[in-house]
Parts: sequence; C-alpha cells; structure tokens
Amino acid sequence: MTRFKRITHLAAAAALSLASMAAAARADTVRITVSFYSAATGPYFEKMAAAFTAANPGHEVKIEVVNWPSLLQKLQTDIAGNANPDISIIGTRWLLDFVRDDLVEPLDGHMSADFRNRFIGTFLKPAEIKGKVYGLPIAASARALYYNKAMLTAAGMPDGPKTWDDVAAAAEKIKAAGGNGFGLMAKGTEVDVYWYYALWTHGGQVISPDGKAAFNTPAGVKSLAMYKSFLDRGLTQPGPTDYTREDLQNQFKQGRLGMVITAPFLINQINKEVPTLQYGIAPVPTGTNAATYAVTDSVVMFKNSKVKDTAWKFLDFLFSAGPRIEFTKSEGFLPTTKAEAADPYFTGNERLQTFVNLLPNAQFAPTITGWEDTAKAVTNALQSVYLGTATPEAALKKAEDIANQALGK
Amino acid sequence: MAARRPTVIGVLPFPVLVMIAPSLLLAAFVILYPLWEILRLSVHEISRFGLVRGFVGWDNFTAVLADPSFRASLWRTLVWTGAVVGGTLVVSVPTAVILNMDFAGRGLARAVVMLPWSVSLSMASIVWLWSFNADYGLINTLLQSLGLIARGVPWMARPETAFPIEIAIGVIVSIPFTTTILLGGLSSIPGDIYEAARIDGAGPWLQFRALTLPLLRSFINIAVVLNIIHVFNSFPIIWIMTQGGPDDGTHILITYLYDLAFRLGKPGPAAAISLIMLAILFVFTFLYLRLQPKDAN
Repeated sequence: MTRFKRITHLAAAAALSLASMAAAARADTVRITVSFYSAATGPYFEKMAAAFTAANPGHEVKIEVVNWPSLLQKLQTDIAGNANPDISIIGTRWLLDFVRDDLVEPLDGHMSADFRNRFIGTFLKPAEIKGKVYGLPIAASARALYYNKAMLTAAGMPDGPKTWDDVAAAAEKIKAAGGNGFGLMAKGTEVDVYWYYALWTHGGQVISPDGKAAFNTPAGVKSLAMYKSFLDRGLTQPGPTDYTREDLQNQFKQGRLGMVITAPFLINQINKEVPTLQYGIAPVPTGTNAATYAVTDSVVMFKNSKVKDTAWKFLDFLFSAGPRIEFTKSEGFLPTTKAEAADPYFTGNERLQTFVNLLPNAQFAPTITGWEDTAKAVTNALQSVYLGTATPEAALKKAEDIANQALGK
Repeated sequence: MAARRPTVIGVLPFPVLVMIAPSLLLAAFVILYPLWEILRLSVHEISRFGLVRGFVGWDNFTAVLADPSFRASLWRTLVWTGAVVGGTLVVSVPTAVILNMDFAGRGLARAVVMLPWSVSLSMASIVWLWSFNADYGLINTLLQSLGLIARGVPWMARPETAFPIEIAIGVIVSIPFTTTILLGGLSSIPGDIYEAARIDGAGPWLQFRALTLPLLRSFINIAVVLNIIHVFNSFPIIWIMTQGGPDDGTHILITYLYDLAFRLGKPGPAAAISLIMLAILFVFTFLYLRLQPKDAN
C-alpha cells in the first residue's frame, strides 16, 4: 500500500514536472504589426525581437512592417479575415472604433503600478476610454515651426517668427527675394491639422466639450481667411492642394522654403540627408494664444490573441528604459516615459526641448466616433477655399453640417 | 420529328453534365459568394471591422443616393469611362493599322507599343505622378526649358488639370491591350480584297472606311466592351495621383467607394455603391451590344 502510494506520488511528481517543463518550453509566437516610421523601424523591431527571444528562449516575435497610410486598412481586412496579429501599433485616434467592436484588450489588468509609473501621464491619457487604458503610447510627437535660418535672418527675424503677423511679414520678404515663404499643405493626411494650428492659436476649437463640431466660429473663419490671404498674396508656395507634408518637408530640406510647421522627426531626416542646412525651430506662431497639436500612436493587444501573457512580456520589454531610448532616438519622437525624458540625449537637445516645452498647450485629437468624417469634411472645406471655389464662411458651414451628422449631433 | 434546340437541362447528356459540374460549381462559388456578401453588407449597418450592427434595409442606398459627392462621382465616372475608352480607340485603330503594314522595324515598333503593358498600373501611375510634380517633375522641366512656362505648374493641385491628365494616362495604359485585339482582327482580313479595291480605284482612305472598319467592327466591339468594364472599375491611376481630391474633385465611383469603406470605415454604403456600379455596368454593356447593327450577312 505505502509502496503503491509512493509510486503514485512519484508518478504524479514526474507528471507535474513534465507538465511544467512543457509549459516552460511551450514556444509562443507573438505577432506584432508596426508602422513604417522610417527605414530604421523594421531593423529596430527585429533587433528587439531577437533580444527578447534570447532572454526568453523558445518564444518568438514576428514583425510585420506596414506603411502608415495603409495600416488601418490592413488591420481592417486582417480583422475581418480573423488573421489579425496579437499586438499592433495604431493611431490613438482610431482606438474608439476598436474598443466599440470589442476587439482590443483593456491593459489595466496587466499593468503593475510600477509599470504605469514609467509613463509621462499626459501620454497615457489619450488611450484611456471610460477609465480603462487600451493602448500604450509608443510614439509621441508635437508640432512646431521649422524656419530656414538664412531666409529668416535676411527677413530680419533670426530667431524665427513669433506671431502669424511675423510669418506674413517674413514671407513677404522671402517672396520678394524669390523664395517660398510659408509652406501650406493641402494634400494627403493631416490637411485638417495644418489648419487647426491657426484655428487653435486664434482661440478656436475643433470639437466642443459636448461633442459638436465647433470650428465654424469667428475664430475659424478668421484663421481660414488668414491662410487664404497668405495664398492669394503669394506668401505660400503655389498650389497647396498639390503638396503633402512630405513635399513641403522636401522643399524645406532643399532650402527652398522659409517656414513649415511639422513634427520633431524632421530633425533626424535633416541630420541624415542635409546636415549642412541651417535652420531653427520655433513654437507654432501665436494669434491670440499659443497652441500646438500633439499626437500619440499606441500599441494595442487584440482580444483574440492566444499568447497574451507572452505578448505582454514583450511589451514590458519594449517599454523598459533601454529599448525606449533607442527607439525614440532613432525615430526622432518625443519621450513618452520618464526614463527617456531624463536621458541626457533629450535633456541636452535644444531642438527637441522646443517641442517638449509646447506640450502644456498641446491639443490631442479627441477619441470620438466621427473624427475621421470630421477630418475629411474639414479637409474638403479647406481645399475648396484654397481652390477658390468656396468662401471660408460657406465652406466651414458645409463642413460643420457634415461633421455634426457624423458626430451624431 | 422536328429538330428541337437542346435546352441545357434535360437535353444535355448526363456525362456532359457531370463533366462540367465541377467547374460550374467553382465558378458559381467564386462569383456568387462575394455577390451574396456584398448584398448582405449593403442592407446592414456594418462597423469598420465587419461587425454587423443591425439590419437597415434600403438605408445605405438612400444615404448614398442623397450624397452629392456620390452623384458628382457618378457623373465623373461616366466622363472618365467615355473619355478613356473613346480616346483609346481613336489612338489604337490607326496604331494597329500602321503596325499591320509592312515596314522596316515593324517588330521593334510593335514591341515598343506593347511595352507599357508590362509595367504595373500602380508603378506607371507613380512614375507619372513624379513626372507631373510641380517642383522637379519632368513635364515642368521640359516646358520650362522650351520657354512655354516661367514657373512650375502644380498640375495635380486643381481637378481641372488633374482629371484630364488622369484620363490621358488612362488612355496611354489602355492602348497596348486594345491594339493587340485590333491587330488580331486585322490579320484575319484577307489581303486580296484590298488588291481588288485598288484595282477598282479606291484610295487608302476609302479602303479604310469601306473595308477595314466594317471588317474590324466585331473586334472593335470586343475592345470597347472589355475596356468599358476595365476602365469603369479602374482604381490605381486616380487613387495614386490624387486620391480623389482635392475637395473630392477627381473621385470616380470606385475610388469614392474605397474612401468610404477604408478611410471612413463604412462598409455598408460602400457595398451599396458597389452594387449600383454592377447594375450600371450590366446595363451599359447590354445596351451597347444591343445597339450594334446586326451583321449584314
């Protein structure tokens, strides 16, 4: 009897240890979709995946790099075909659609207080819906005005323009010298945002606190009329509806454009492609007040993932100090964790600090349904004004109606 | 016993039915399943990710039909299709006639005309987009060096310039296919009837009008119908060059549909447009073939 008991004990123990060994040796494959931020994105994630596998033998991370403009469509078809990855980078402003369809996992259960404390609070907020955090801010940026030192010095503003009046005055002089003064973009993504800089700094709003379209106001009309007058007076490059953000950045790199508002990652591009370009970075010009746009991209975890624990382990690794600093440095984003912000690379980087200092006045895209429709309606309105087929008043009224319909107001 | 025309079921011998059944079933599945899915999407409210939120009946259709951008895109689609197909034909018929003649270097000329076919439509569109770039595009550089313009023209900035350019590119990329069909037709026309016509004193123009065109007609019809279907649904040129903008000014139905489905996340209305397009194309093709005069003999 005792002998038999011992045998069963032994057998049980053996089975247990076998089971635990099997658990340890279970090879999870975590699939992550990341967006192509630069040529460095793919290699960075491959490197992190290799480091993760080295630290967690048996587990594997598969990276898929997708261009930003097709990322949402890619995920959309992946999800419809039930072939979505375990984790993915998404635009934080898309998050609500994912949450509404119950596709992504609230992360609060995975997050320890210590983990949560790694982040700069402002950046965790945009991915919070009804008190739950659904995304981790993997990339953050804000917008500021890049100016060509030589052109602006010749225009009498070596430190860049402070106000929109300064922008107009400087652009007049640049135009007289045969250059393009202020870059105005009206093609591709973020056409709406490029006008929100002017709207916000004139005291306007895109969406009111009660969720209605709020851009059709005197501030809206005034700021749009200002852009239109820049265009009509030849203070911008001609034909803004033919220019994407990348087109303007290229003009700026070639020294053919005086001023352009864009994101911090242009610094890295200039360092790499035209290190000799003399330029400065100033806050977004002010009208009645200061403002800028801040945007985050988030990593989300899908509900249907079968390897959530391993996926989380990988995220925990990605958001530790070393990998974060390397990522943010190579992509030229702003720090989203405290460890990055304290790193000498960021504290000593005057150009990046200009962006960081703007954050207290930054506006984030709200997480509301109908944001994409609003963005499109506003984009169409702006394009019709730049093309001269509608007045600012009429165009904004039309966009307001379409946006309110989409916002359900 | 009066000869009866065999109807498909009943008269076809059993083994024949068995033999064509697999391919018939496969074809039915490949065609009917997507059609069924689109029908289903078009009468439901569907979330961006394909979740069915509820049955809405005709709501997607009425919403689409009430949308001014849809109506503008519909009109533009007709212009687009007519201009590209018409333009292609106007260029392709003489091209085919010339390539059918005997001259030194004909093989090379044929290869050159066919070459664009081997370039993917997306790549061709990207190359053309660069060529029309306002700051360093080939076209502006050329016009500037010829002294025709003083400063680079932003071609894609206005629908009035962008859309005709897109049509022209549509014509260019449709020529190889159309020319191939027409060349096939020309090679089937016997040479001796031209000889007879020449003896009767017909000049080249009369020969072309009285012999070539009528004998080529059934090939032209095939080219027109296939081109209509293809051009009507052609997505890459417009999407790559202008994405339907600025201010929705260059959208045709297919790009507008894509914008709705994937940018704004509304598969329901997009499916409704897709069905409307199917109906238009069906009617179009049917009418065109019907309006053709029957063969004289």
